[in-house]
Amino acid sequence: MHSLGCRLRRMNELSRAQIRDLMAQVLKNQDKELPADDAAQLREIGFRSLDFSELALRVEDETGEELNFDAPGLRRIATVGDVLDFLVELQHQ
Amino acid sequence: MSEPADTQLVPPSSVVLVSGGSRGLGLAIVTDLLDAGVRVAAFARTITPELEKLTAEHPDRVHVGSVDVTDLRAAQSFVREVEQRLGPIDGIVNNAAMGQDSLHAHTATDDIARIIETNLTAPLQLTRLVIRRMLTKGLRGRIVNITSICGQRGFPGLVAYSATKGGMDAATRSLARELGGRMLVNSVAPGFFASEMSAVLGPTQLDQIVRRTPTGHLTEPVEVTPVVRMLLREHTNINGQVIVVDGAAAI
Repeated sequence: MHSLGCRLRRMNELSRAQIRDLMAQVLKNQDKELPADDAAQLREIGFRSLDFSELALRVEDETGEELNFDAPGLRRIATVGDVLDFLVELQHQ
Repeated sequence: MSEPADTQLVPPSSVVLVSGGSRGLGLAIVTDLLDAGVRVAAFARTITPELEKLTAEHPDRVHVGSVDVTDLRAAQSFVREVEQRLGPIDGIVNNAAMGQDSLHAHTATDDIARIIETNLTAPLQLTRLVIRRMLTKGLRGRIVNITSICGQRGFPGLVAYSATKGGMDAATRSLARELGGRMLVNSVAPGFFASEMSAVLGPTQLDQIVRRTPTGHLTEPVEVTPVVRMLLREHTNINGQVIVVDGAAAI
């Protein structure tokens, strides 16, 4: 039972690439483009904290799991790679 | 409200109950009141070495207990212990609170409930408990609610916390009316402290607040304790007020 439960949760999880696609959609809605480089600075591409909120909620919609998190983690996010790492990790919690 | 006013003065508090008295501002308030010769009952979830030291220094004037403010039954028996050891309580400082640092959309609903229970429901229930004791004994007393600048100004990441602090400020006003001068009820609303809960704001936000503060520094607990002591001890006609201690950061 328990291992099945774990497997089901893993199946709901989004991959880094899937999250990247969602991030591109969030930016596209604002006529902005997501660079291919993970090192790209969020400040330069204009991805703000509420955009991060929107992305996290889109991931929630896809997986059906709430992703709650504190603000200090958010403040450390500076690059596209940071966003993807944060959300991949958050799904494991 | 049209009843004749009770014109007798409210004497200085002599036995003061402080919730969340084990560290930070609460501990500073306990220390300051003891220095002023007051008998103090302090409780917190965990009794710190600092609080134990104060108990050892003033064994006949301090009573401490390990009580979670949300545990009303435990608070009730603590109040009874205090009355036996120190005498009837005629002052209360509602200081215990929990902080927050999460955007509202991403705060777990259980966490919102816990913040409201700890910061709003629990102090209202503790206040009810203590004023019932005071009214039964025909005592006059003072109530000081420690709130926050968040009750009046907006800060991201502190939505539920702000709601509770604004709620306590509102309760302060209504309670001052309701208690008809038999008790003086006020709030003290500090700005952000450099330590403790406001570590949650993050260095950038704190720097920004310091830059906007005419006095050029964040609030320290020792800058708040004299105001709390005044409200508990001095003859003033201050009642139903929220006194902001923030160096005019919010002005």
